[in-house]
Amino acid sequence: MSNGVPDRPTFEAIEAYVLDRMGPEERAAFERRLAGDPVLQAEVALEREHVLAVELGGLQRSLKAIGDAELRKGGGPAWGGLLKYAAGIALLLGVALWWMMRPPAHERLFAEHFTPDPGLPVAMSAADDHAFHDAMVAYKLGEHDEAIAKWSTQLKEKPSNDTLRFYIGCAELNAGRAAKAVTWLMPIAELPGSAFAAKARWFAFLALVRSGDLPAARALPFTEDHPYAQRAKAVLNDLR
Amino acid sequence: MPTPAHSRPAADDRLSGLLRNDPASLRALYTAHFGTVRSFVLANSGTGDDARDVFQEAITVLWLRAREGTLAPGTDPGAFLFSIARNKWLDTVRSAAHRHMNVVHDQRMHAAAVEPDDGVEERLARLRAIYERLDDKCRTVLDRFYFERKDLAAIAQELGVEEESIRTIKYRCMMKLRAQRDAIGGEDHERS
Repeated sequence: MSNGVPDRPTFEAIEAYVLDRMGPEERAAFERRLAGDPVLQAEVALEREHVLAVELGGLQRSLKAIGDAELRKGGGPAWGGLLKYAAGIALLLGVALWWMMRPPAHERLFAEHFTPDPGLPVAMSAADDHAFHDAMVAYKLGEHDEAIAKWSTQLKEKPSNDTLRFYIGCAELNAGRAAKAVTWLMPIAELPGSAFAAKARWFAFLALVRSGDLPAARALPFTEDHPYAQRAKAVLNDLR
Repeated sequence: MPTPAHSRPAADDRLSGLLRNDPASLRALYTAHFGTVRSFVLANSGTGDDARDVFQEAITVLWLRAREGTLAPGTDPGAFLFSIARNKWLDTVRSAAHRHMNVVHDQRMHAAAVEPDDGVEERLARLRAIYERLDDKCRTVLDRFYFERKDLAAIAQELGVEEESIRTIKYRCMMKLRAQRDAIGGEDHERS
């Protein structure tokens, strides 16, 4: 442990003990260590309580879902038939509305071809990477605005960092702000030697498609050997 | 309603399922015993929502006691849940805001043993306060790992993230919880 905070191996050993996921020998060894270590005893008690708190939160979420379903069931038979008719009408209205309001072709093509960048693996690493990885955790869990805010702060110190700029662009695109994403991704696409250049060009192309700027999308050059050239060509063919 | 002797094995299965946070056992426990509590609450000036609230609180108390090993051997979950839910609803009815309500006495009101107050409410409040400190993204990962008991690979697949990232996120979230606890100056320790 450092500064009273358990490092990851210690945390995971305590966790395995608390969740009863240790083999007999490992458990016996841990309990011998535990018997003579009051700090470890306190950590075990704390982790036990935190795990219990998380489980309680999960239990309440499950109970709420079951309870809502039970209350709906208790609505009474007189409503049952009416509800079926109402559901049928709602379905028809829904289909009609969907047909009238379905997204235009360029948005459908974007949805068909766009797979968000999964981000970089978040590993335990040097302290100076902590802020970057903290934002990456938010990105991976879909908290794009939080990720953008954290990376933007770091970008003030490292304005030419292409990793930060690429992932801010990705986060903007994932958050549905395609036009803003283009402003981040296009400079990376043109940046010689950037490891993100190829993906940035592809995402910038898709962002242009998404935002309906089809002339700009058509004008965006892809060399024959570009890894996304064929996919870009397929999107443009479908847009004709 | 107390569980008849012939269905005791099913009741035991539900209790052991509850200990494992098994969704099917939780649903079975709910559907088997909610109706009795709802009838009682509705007969005593309550609503369906009131019944749901006291019943869910009763299941939570049952769960915590089962987890802490403080349930008496052979506890009938149906009688236990009814007893807790009934007491909670009667407390509500007796409160100042509900003094005008008319309480219908029921033989079951005396049938089940009254649970001793051993601080379970305070423990639940403390655990809820801890959970409240978690942000949504931590809850997303921790719920799946600790409550649903999914392995890291399954969570990683569900969230479209590498397994190693989930492992790191889990560690960081648990350390955040710890740091927040330290930051409030041992408030919890004083209360406990």
